[in-house]
This record gives sequence, C-alpha cells and structure tokens, in this order.
Amino acid sequence: MAQLFAPRANVVVRSVLVAAGALAVCASFAVWAFARSPAATGQYRRPEQPIPFSHPLHVNALQIDCRYCHTGAERSTMAGMPPTKACVPCHRDDLLQTSLFAPLRQSLSSGRGIAWRRVTSLPDFVFFDHAVHVRTGVACESCHGPVQLMHELYQAAPLTMESCLGCHRAAAAGYDRGRLTSCTTCHR
Amino acid sequence: MSVRQEEMARRLGVDRECPEGADTVSRRGFVKLLGASIALAGLDGCTRMPASNILPYADQPELTPGIPQYYATSMVLDGFATGLLVESHEGRPTKVEGNPDHPASLGAAGVYEQASVLQLYDPHRAGRVRHRLGTSSWKELAAVLAPSTLRARVGAGGAGLFLLLEPTSSPLDSELLDRLIGMYPAAGVHFYSPFARLNDSLLPQYDVSEADVIVAVDADFLATGPFHLRYARDFAARRRPEASRGMNRLYAIEPSVTVTGTAADHRIAVRPGEIVPALEVLLAAIRGTPGQRSGPGPDWVAPIARDLRAHGDRSLIVAGPYLPERARALAHQINLALGNIGRTIWFSRSPLLGAGDERHSLARLVDALRAGHVDTLICVGGNPSYATPGALGVASLIRRVPQTVYLGLYENETARDCQWMVPAAHFLESWSDARAYDGTLSIVQPLIEPLAGGKTSAELLSLLLGMPDAHPYDLLRQAWRGRGNFGDGSDFEDGWRKILGRGVVEGSSFPREQAGSAALTPDAQRQRSLPIEILFRPDARVRDGAFANNGWLQELPDPVTTLTWGNAAHLSPATAQRFGAVTGDLLDIQSAGLTVRIPALVMPGHADDTVTVHFGYGRDGSEALARGVGVDVYPLWPDGAFTAGASVTRMPSASHRTLAITQPHHTLDASKPARAMTLDEYSRLGPRKPSRSLTLYEPQASLPDGPARQQWAMTIDLGACIGCGACMVACQAENNVPVVGHDDVVRGREMHWLRIDWYAARSGEPATIAQPMLCQQCEKAPCEYVCPVEATVHSSDGLNEMVYNRCVGTRFCSNNCPYKVRRFNWFDYSAGLSPIEGLVKNPDVTVRERGVMEKCTFCVQRIRQAEIAARLDGRRPVREGEIQTACQQTCPTRAIVFGSLTEKDGQVARDRRNPRAYAALEDLGTEPRVLYLARVRNSASEGDRRK
Amino acid sequence: MNDRAMIQTILAPLDEPPRLWIVLVAVCALGTLLWITSVGYTLWMGIGAWGNNIPVAWAFDIVNFVWWIGIGHAGTFISAFLLLLNQPWRDAVARMAEAMTLFALAIAASFPLVHLGRPWFFYWLTPYPSTMGVWPNFKSALPWDVAAITTYFLVSLMFFYLGLVPDLATARDRLTGTTRRRIYGVFALGWNGGGRQWRRRRAALKMMAAIAAALVVSVHSIVSLDFSIAQLPGWHSTIFPPYFVVGAIYSGLAMVLALAVPVRAAYRLEAVITLLHLERLAKLLLTIGLLLVYCDAIELYTAASSHDPVERAMHMVHWPFGPFGWLYWTMLALTVLTPQLFWFRRFRCNVSILFGAAVAILMGMWLERFVIVVASLSRGGVPSKWHDYVPTWVDWGILFGSLSIFGLFFLLFLRFVPAAAMGELRRSRFEMLVETKP
Repeated sequence: MAQLFAPRANVVVRSVLVAAGALAVCASFAVWAFARSPAATGQYRRPEQPIPFSHPLHVNALQIDCRYCHTGAERSTMAGMPPTKACVPCHRDDLLQTSLFAPLRQSLSSGRGIAWRRVTSLPDFVFFDHAVHVRTGVACESCHGPVQLMHELYQAAPLTMESCLGCHRAAAAGYDRGRLTSCTTCHR
Repeated sequence: MSVRQEEMARRLGVDRECPEGADTVSRRGFVKLLGASIALAGLDGCTRMPASNILPYADQPELTPGIPQYYATSMVLDGFATGLLVESHEGRPTKVEGNPDHPASLGAAGVYEQASVLQLYDPHRAGRVRHRLGTSSWKELAAVLAPSTLRARVGAGGAGLFLLLEPTSSPLDSELLDRLIGMYPAAGVHFYSPFARLNDSLLPQYDVSEADVIVAVDADFLATGPFHLRYARDFAARRRPEASRGMNRLYAIEPSVTVTGTAADHRIAVRPGEIVPALEVLLAAIRGTPGQRSGPGPDWVAPIARDLRAHGDRSLIVAGPYLPERARALAHQINLALGNIGRTIWFSRSPLLGAGDERHSLARLVDALRAGHVDTLICVGGNPSYATPGALGVASLIRRVPQTVYLGLYENETARDCQWMVPAAHFLESWSDARAYDGTLSIVQPLIEPLAGGKTSAELLSLLLGMPDAHPYDLLRQAWRGRGNFGDGSDFEDGWRKILGRGVVEGSSFPREQAGSAALTPDAQRQRSLPIEILFRPDARVRDGAFANNGWLQELPDPVTTLTWGNAAHLSPATAQRFGAVTGDLLDIQSAGLTVRIPALVMPGHADDTVTVHFGYGRDGSEALARGVGVDVYPLWPDGAFTAGASVTRMPSASHRTLAITQPHHTLDASKPARAMTLDEYSRLGPRKPSRSLTLYEPQASLPDGPARQQWAMTIDLGACIGCGACMVACQAENNVPVVGHDDVVRGREMHWLRIDWYAARSGEPATIAQPMLCQQCEKAPCEYVCPVEATVHSSDGLNEMVYNRCVGTRFCSNNCPYKVRRFNWFDYSAGLSPIEGLVKNPDVTVRERGVMEKCTFCVQRIRQAEIAARLDGRRPVREGEIQTACQQTCPTRAIVFGSLTEKDGQVARDRRNPRAYAALEDLGTEPRVLYLARVRNSASEGDRRK
Repeated sequence: MNDRAMIQTILAPLDEPPRLWIVLVAVCALGTLLWITSVGYTLWMGIGAWGNNIPVAWAFDIVNFVWWIGIGHAGTFISAFLLLLNQPWRDAVARMAEAMTLFALAIAASFPLVHLGRPWFFYWLTPYPSTMGVWPNFKSALPWDVAAITTYFLVSLMFFYLGLVPDLATARDRLTGTTRRRIYGVFALGWNGGGRQWRRRRAALKMMAAIAAALVVSVHSIVSLDFSIAQLPGWHSTIFPPYFVVGAIYSGLAMVLALAVPVRAAYRLEAVITLLHLERLAKLLLTIGLLLVYCDAIELYTAASSHDPVERAMHMVHWPFGPFGWLYWTMLALTVLTPQLFWFRRFRCNVSILFGAAVAILMGMWLERFVIVVASLSRGGVPSKWHDYVPTWVDWGILFGSLSIFGLFFLLFLRFVPAAAMGELRRSRFEMLVETKP
C-alpha cells in the first residue's frame, strides 16, 4: 500500500503549527499598534479647505489673537467660527476679487457661511466645553497644536479617550480629580 | 448623527461631514432656520430674523453660539394665557418653562405647555396656502377677501360675512374685530371651543390657600382649567402637616375619578343626577333650615356640612365648569351662606371677548348656517367640523357655505370642509397678546420665524381690513401704543421693553366685581331619572383633540388609569360586571341617537351606572399620528350639556381591544414603595434616623478650589404631588426621551425616565397615591456592580451615571434595578425622525442609539453646566437652588426638591430629616439619594378628635 | 463480536450513511435557515424584534443560553469524571457526549452574543488595553462568563481531539480513497499506535480530565452567578451554583440518552452501545434527578423561612400561581416525576421509555430556566412595573433554529467522525463482558 505522506510531512505540520502561534502573537500586537496610529485616530489629518487660510500669516505676521476670530473660546462651549463679514474689513477689495476668495464672495452674496471642513472633531457623545478649559489655564496648543506654524491646519492630538483622560487624571493639585474623571464630565 | 452636530452644521453652515440635517430639510424650512441661527449667532445681517427685535428675558449677554437664551411668551388655551419662558438654542426653541412672574404659572408649566414645543416642529403641520385642491398664496386670498371684492359678495353691511374664532382674550384681536365690525356692521362674530366658559360674563376666582376646608363638586380644579397651576400650588402649600397654617381638608364629590379626587381626603363617588339634590340638602344643612323638598339626603352630606360650618368663612365650594346651571347656583348659595364670597372666592369680569353674550355663540352661527344666511365663513383656529356636538352637524353645514376660509395649524377635518386653508403660525412663531384668567395682560412673542410661513389671527383679520401685508409686530405695537397698557403710564418704549422682558404687565388683572346672587333656576333634569348617565370630558392629554398629533401627549399616561394612545369608556367595576365587560371589551354606547363602539375601562371609584368618555380621539384629518387613534365620541354629545342619558350594550365577547395601559397592577404589595398615613399616625411618628453613609466614596477633603463636592439628592413629597404628569413631559423634553408608539407601550417598552406610579392600598379601591418614580440614584446601586463594561458607575458627587456610549446592552442593570426605572432602546427610535423633528432635541443631551440602556440622570447636563458657569465666574461652589431639574422646575405643587446634602440647612437636607421621609424599598439597603415624604391624609374624623 | 467486526460497525457510517441521514440533514438545514433568518432580523431591527420588555429584559435569549450550556456539561462529565473514576463503560458513549458538548457550547455561546443591544462591541467584555483607558467591570459576573465558557470550550475541544487521534488513525488506515485518507491522516498527527504513544496519551487524557472535571463545576457555577449576584427575588439565592451544576449535568445526561438511543438504532450500534450502557445512564439520571429535587426543596425552604415577604411571595405566589404558574407545575412534573421511572429495571431497559423520559427531562429543564428567568423578572421590582411576557416568532425561530443547528452539527459528526472510541473500547471490552454476566 502506497505511503500517504512523504517523510517531510512531519516537518511541514510542525512548522505550520509554530507559524500559526507566531502569527497569533504578531496579529494581536499589530491591532494594538494600529488602534493608536494616526491611521486610526486621524491625527495629522489635514482636510482641504475651501480657502487655503493660513494661520501662520494671520497669527505671526499680522499678530491677530486667536480670540479675535474664535470669539466663543473663553465664554462658550464652542470656540465659534468667524462670520464671513469679519474677513472683509482687513482684506483689500482687489484681493477679494481673486479666484482664491471665490467661496468668500459667494458666501457674502448667498448669506450662507463658508463651508470650512472641521479639523478637530470629537464624537457626538463627547461634550467639550472650550470656556472652562481655556479659563482654567489649558492652552489652545495643548489640543490644537502649534496652529501658528500650520500653513495647512491639521489635527494635532490623537483625540482618543486616553489622550483626554491623560490630562484629567494628571490634573494639578487643587483640582478635584473625582470631578474631572467622572464619566458625566464629558458624557451626558 | 447627534443633534449637537446637526446644530453645529446648521449654525455655522460648516462641516460637510454631517450635513443630513441641513440638506434634507425642506428648502424654505431650512433657509429660515439657518437664517435665524446665523443671524442670532451674529454671523450675518439680521435679514433672516423675525424682522424685529426680541429682547431676552432677564439681562442676558449678547448671544454666543453654545449659550442658550430665554424669552418670555405666553401660551393661550381657550382664550386664557399662561406665561412661559422658552429656552432657545441659536434660534431654535427647545424647552418650555413657566414664567415665575405670571399669575397663571408662578414658574410652573402643565403638560400642554411642556409639549407645545414638539407641536412647533410637527412635520404634519400645514405648510401651504391652499384653495380647494390647488396650492395658492396669501396674495390670492388677499385679493379674494379684499374689502372691495368681499363687499360685493356679502353686501355693504357684510350681512353674509361670518367669523368663527377660538375664544380669545387678546386686546389686539378685539381691536381688530372692532375695526372689522366698523367696516361690516352686519357681520356675525362667533366664538367657540368645546370647553371654553363663554356663557359666564363673571368668572369665579379662588384663593385656595385661604381655605381650610374645600369641597370640590365635580371640579378637577387642580389639574384642568385656566388657573389650575396656581390652584395646585396654593393647595399643595397646605398639604404638608409641617405647614404653619395647618393642613387643609379636601372633599371631592365626583362621578368619575379625577386628579383632584385622588388628592382628596374624602372622595365621594356620586352619579351626576344625585349632585343637585345633594347640594340642596347641603345648602339646607348649612343654612340650618331642615332640608325642604329633598329629604334627609345621602349620609355623607351631614359630616361635610358640619365641617363646613365649623370653619365658617375659611372654606370653599368649587363647582365644576361642567355642572348644570342649577348646581353651580347652589354652590354659589352655599359659599354665600358660609360667607366665603370675598374671602376664598370672588368674581371678576371674564376677559374673553363676547363672554356671556348669546349673540356670539355657536348656536347662533348654526342657526344662520341652517338658514343659509352665510355667504363667507372665516374660521380662525379651532376645529368646528370635528369638535362640535354631533347633533348640530356643523361639518355638513360648513361644506354648504359658498365661500369658506380656515386658518389652522393642520389640514384637519375643518380644513377639509373649507375651500381656503391658511397655515396658522404656532404661538412660538407669533406676535400677539392675551389676558390670563384673572385678566392679567400677557405678551406672546415669537422665538423663530414661522417655519411653514404660518399666519396669525391678527394677520388674517388685518387682511380682511384690507391690510394683507401688515406685520403682526407692527399691529401689536400700534394696538399697545394706542392703549397706555402700562400701569405706571411711563414712556411707551420703556414699558414695551419691560413687558417683552417680563412677559406680563403687573397689576393689569381685572378688579373684583359685585357677585350677582345667581337666582336658583328650576332644575330641568331633576325629574328625569336616567338608566345610564354618560359624562363628556376633555381628555387629560389631547384635550378636545387639538393636541392629538403630539407624540409626547399621546404617550403620556392618563392620570390614574395610565392609559396611553387612545380613549376608553370608564365604568365602575359593578357597572362593568352588569354588562359582563372587562377592561378592553368593546361596548356600544348610544346617545343623541347615534352609536359609538368604544373599549371599556374598568375603574374602581367610578360612580355606578355612569360612563365617562373623553373627547379628542378618532381623528380623521391629515395628522398622521392622530389618525385612527382611539374613538371619536363627539357624535354622542348632545348640544350644550356635558351629561346625558345613554344606553350601553356589550359586544359579543370576541370583540376585545388591547389598551396601551402602562401600569396594569395598582395594588401595593408587601414592599410598600408608596406610603400614606393619617394625621394621627403622623403625629405619633418618631424622628427619622439618618441613613448610615452618604456616599460610596471617601468624604472629600476640602479642596483649594472650593469646599467638598456637592452630594446631589432629591426629595419628593407625596403629600404635595397630585400626579398631574407635567414632570413626565418636562423630562421627555429636556432629555430627548423618544416616543415608542402604541404597540411598544403594550409590550411594556415606554421610555419615560420619570413615570407616575398610581397605587391603591387594597385591590378594588381607586388608586389614590401618585408616586413619581425615577432613578433613585442609589448610593449602593444594584445596577452598577452587574454592568460588565462599567457603563453605569458612581460619580464623586453621588450620581449614578449612565454612559450611553459605553453601554453594550446586556440589560443586566435593568434586571437588577428594584425600581425598574431603566429604559432600553429596543429599536432605533430616533432614526425615523425627519430633520425638522430633530430640531426639538436638546443639544446638551446625547441622542441615544439602538441597543443602549438609558435612565434619569438628575438632569446631569444642567448640573455640569452650572458647575462650569460657577467656575467661570470665580471658582465659587454651585449654590442651592442654582440647579433645578426639569421635573422640579415645572412641578406645579413644588413636590420635588433638588439640592446638595452638603448644604446642611438646605431644603433637601431638612426634608431628609423629616419624620415622613422614607426611601422606597428601604429594606434593600440601596440607600437611594431620592427620598419620599409619606402622604398624610387629613380625614375629618381625625380632625374632630384632635379638636 | 470481535474487534474487527466492531471497528467495521463503527466505521461503516463513514463510508455510506443510512438513507435517513440525508432526510434529517435536509430538515436540519431548513431549521438552520430559520435560525439565520431570525438572528439576521434581530441584528437588523434590534432586540425589539423579541418579546422582551422592561421588566422582562432577559427571556428566551438567556433561557436558551443556560439550557444549552447545561447540555454542554454531560460530555465532559462523562469523559472526565467517569474516566477518573475508572468507569470503562463510559467509552461507548463518551465520544458522542464530547461531540455533543462542543456543539452545545458553540450554540450556547451564540446567545449572549446575539442578545447584546450592540453586539458589535462584544469585545468590550474582554480585558484588553483599549484606547479608551477603561477596563471591564470585574465585579460583574458577565466578563467571568466569557472567560469561563471560552476556557471550557477550548479544554473540551482538546480533550475531544486527544481522544479522537487514534481513531482518526484507524480511519486513515482502514478507509479507502486517497484524499479521504490523507485528510484523516493529517488530523491523525502521524499516530502509529505504538505502545509509547498509547501510554503518553493515556497520561495526557488523565491530566486533562483532572482540569476538565474542575471546569465542569466552575463553568455553570459562574453562569449561575449571572442570577444569584442580583438582588431580584427568585434569583438572589446562595444555592444557585450547585443547583445549576446539578441541573446542567441532569439535562446533559438526558441529551446523551436522547441521542444515544436513536443513533444506536439507526447505526446498528447495539453491540457497541449496549443496554447496559443505557441502563447505567438511566441510573445516573435518577441519582442526579434526586439531587435536583433536593436543591429544589432547599430553595423553596430557604424562601419559605425568609423574613422578606417579597421573597416569599415570589416562591409561594408568583411562581406557582402567577402568569406562568402552569409552566411551573409542568416543569416540576417533568423534572421531578419522570426520573422516578428509573427505579424499575424494566423501564431502564426499555429504549423507547428511556428516549421519551430523556426528552421530557430536557423540556422540563428548559422550563425550569424559563421559570427562574422570566417568571421572576415579570414580578420583580415595584408592582407598578409588573409586566407579562409574550415571545414573538423571532424568539421561537431562534430556539428551534438552535436545535436544528445542533442536529446538523451532530449529523455531520456522525458522518465523518467515528462515533465511538474504538481504541478505548478494545481495551475495555473484556471487563465489560465479564460484568454483563448475570
């Protein structure tokens, strides 16, 4: 009766078993790593904006304070986006006529805001309050990164729950950690 | 996508990532919305705003996205205004509260006020001016009704012109109507709504707080009627045995079980026919003369008479609005005899236009219609084709009129019978004014431009006056400028600003009038003895049908019966047995020559041989939600009286309908979650031993940024609570609680975070203890340790937190919750909503997705916002009273108190020391943060013994 | 019958199954479709597709889960315990029981998964380093459920396979057709039947048996905690862990019997699975049955002597006379009375009686779980929220679907795997023959 298996069959089987084990380990590590990578968190994501607005130009060159445009940052839950009309006073008309500013002109005529793409976006079930962070000494940069250097705005922080908890758990003395790490501080 | 994001999109027009909300709203709707929000957000000129200023209530900062604002306005029911404060998020009203400055509200709001904001965003509202079947326009209507054209039709005097308006107390309307009459002297102006008190030129005003003994004669004055919020407040203020002025005592004499009846110390179920004789005996007993022509009378009369005489002029007889003329006259005589007139009860002029004037009644209009005198009929609001006695056949009469115009919110029965349909503006979209029950002037101001281009009654009237383009705001200002309405007679603009801010004109209530000693008319119906008497009542939820398309109200359990999504014929167990009927069996009820088939609802405590039916169901208009829900009983309604003879027959046993009742079991079990006691038992109570620990956590050391963190707690006084249900709707509005519909209610899946449990001490008795049941925020919460993913955990300020986005939906927490206050999203209840419906959602609360558990959170969003606000203005701790939960804020009787245990002498801490205080299912040791104060009954025998 | 003949009888179905086989497979395939439909509909619509409500938030889903887990106990019980106790007669049914265990466990595991409101997040119940910086709640019984069931499944699988290897080798050597033999060969892991291999395998089996034996007790104890850690009257009871283990083994043995009887008839295995085996199983059933009665009694006694009126009401009023009272009494009749038949030898030796009794007990045990889960929930908490429960077609679909899947798996098992442990049988036939002498 012919042999069913060649002599090397055992080797094959053993190596397959070993490989399977190794694969399992690697795979689980890969998953762990991916979940924290920009690919998953959207960190460094730079969506294209209707107008290539340059923060460095406005912040450094023109020395405009963040709060000039993002008026809500110190008072409200959301920092707020500047009204289209806020651009007009500073920009010379001939400049506004360039194709660069087409969306702006359109917005002025239609009365609908410019459709900026959101860069730093939290899930719907996270209630983030700008005012309380800004007013208790959390710098804009700590979440938004070095905006004054971003010619194209990108998402600076990974914005995972860990990254939020990182600060909340390490809150300086004098802050009520219990309050800062209660679920309902962010989830309502 | 969460409403929060929708809102961002809508507000800023940014973010293509979440535009469903934005793009799928009907064009007009959206532009206006976006407009309103952008304008308010100061992003763009004020072009889209209601073309005139709205002043914030208090001294609000200029609007910033993310910071809600409050405006004062009023809601009008049957002509009477109730003052409201409405929360607005970037131009979309989301939540209604009572206006503390308004006499009809005192800061409270009822179910209709709370639910009105949902009606605003009702996608079934009429959205176009219609002529016959085709779309038309306001302009075309203006052309048709222009004085020149109209005169040609209806004659110079306007003899063929008839108006049918909802009862109104609006000075603006009255002024415009005067001018209209000036233009068409012969025109007929009529007012109608099923429950309006149009026959009385004088209205009784009660001071419930002054009365030690109250006798409510078929009067549900605590839960229905224009001033019920105020009466409930005053009544409840004296239901606490601790109260300095002692407890009042309430006798309720009524055929069907009402909220007032369940709140009474003594409730006597009587047949409607027995009321007048009983009152005669009572009057005789009070006057001290032996009861002539009526014999000894029932045995319950004597004790009441004794009690009343003992308290002399500190008593009050409240006669229900549905009683026959004679009964109300008798009640007046008794008040007179007791000397209550001027003390606990007085009279003032009715603010309703045409009140007590036969010429303005519906009957006269019907006569004219029958006689064919009507060429042009203009119906302003209401729903005469549906909500009128079947015998009158109003619908068919309207159809015969050559030219008919209807101004209404919906394409309802009346709209169908009229040639012209004009969408009406919701009151949250309207500029107008109105008077409260006591005459107090109130403002109605819009929070948003009409979503569906609706028009106000003033606009329609001014169109008839040949001013189709007059803006209601200008009309209003003119009218007010004309009359110096402002008490101090100061400069108009100042006064105007003030009233826009406060919503009411102080001291504008009507003066007391000399009470005509109503002569005792011979009683018409005494002779007739009816086999079965049928009572017609407004429904506690959809009223006369006007709110039938409101999901919050349809799903609000009826007080006592907890019936939702429909109506039923209420009968006493004995009577039901006579027909061999159980709850749900179909009965054929015949009255006024017509027969209606309606399911029975067996109700302990109901008078025998009497059937109570409620209006407002069996709608047949285009309101998708309301269509086919329940049974229309208007056909049974004879003209005028709210009581009639009827014959009832039981259908073959096969025919049964499952009623969507949320609480099938009313009898208290051994666990005694709700407690009641007599005054004696109360006086024998020892001091309450405080619960062992306050929190699961280490007591927090005082922190540099303030004292130890607040420990939130709530107490609910069952003595004060009357079970009106306002808190349930308030909670639903505040917390985005979904509506599940009839079938899921039958399955036991209603989503209310806060429900009202009705308990009877023994089976067969009427359920008289109302217990608001919400998450008890246990310190040792059974739900917490069984959740496998820590989706429900304890916060350091003692809240039992529910993290929707962490929940995987094992439902173990609900199984382990002894109070069964957790709700599960069995389906994706928010998926079917049109974007316009989404606008009502509170942006501060997550909209829960399918498959997650949810529950009461003590309105944690309000707590956290208050904490943030407090921190922003200088690190001070949140003060007591700074946070009100939605249920607490709207509660008419102030039964709900919320605060922190760290405030040692705060109201909550004091209530928890009250001997009446107890925790529901205390034995389980869950140590709830919600404590109840047991209800105390001030029954007469007790009172006598204590004297 | 000599060894060769026995091996032939056992291997025969691997060559051509009886005609009945095809029919049954077809039936079970249909049932499986029903299961796929029902589960698919549930996943699409949400749990609302079922009859569950508040307060009855668990119903068929958990009843079925516990029932199947229970059935999954007999296999290991028979293999492990009886192996350790040197009960050679076990070998005849062990293989079938172990296979049954695996299938039952796989099916049981599907219920808690499907019953989640958001099944796609099931992995949150497992401890892993997440970017949310949070862990499962180890105070809850459910994460332990996951752990216990997974462990039990893996151990049972290894145990089953370890026992299977020599028979796969036999199949490899005895069957025809190169491909088939290759496949069997691969899974036989080059078994050559040398004495060393036999000894080592025996040792390994004993070792695994020791582990598995512990698991038999632990798994259902942990499952019982899903109920007994709750405060709900009817759930909150310290007797639950042993109670559940006993119940589990009870239903498991019943299932073995319910399978052994028809299989033995259909596959002419009378010589392999003799009346003696069935009779021993029956005796075992009787013993465990009496244990269960004891647990029932204790539970009732505890409740009766409790000072908590609500607890008393649950056992004295709501269970026996509540909306599901008739199910309660049926359950008692089926689980308590049925095994009493086995006091008599003539019933123990009557295969049709045995089969009927086994099925009755299985139904009874399902009802028992139903009473515990649904009847308690429907009357738990405050009276205002008492609410009855009515299953929907989806509930029934999933229940019968799961039975069909089980049937399908088992039929495939009979088709491709030797249904009895030929190796062990050969070893132990001698003693058996001796024993059966009157």
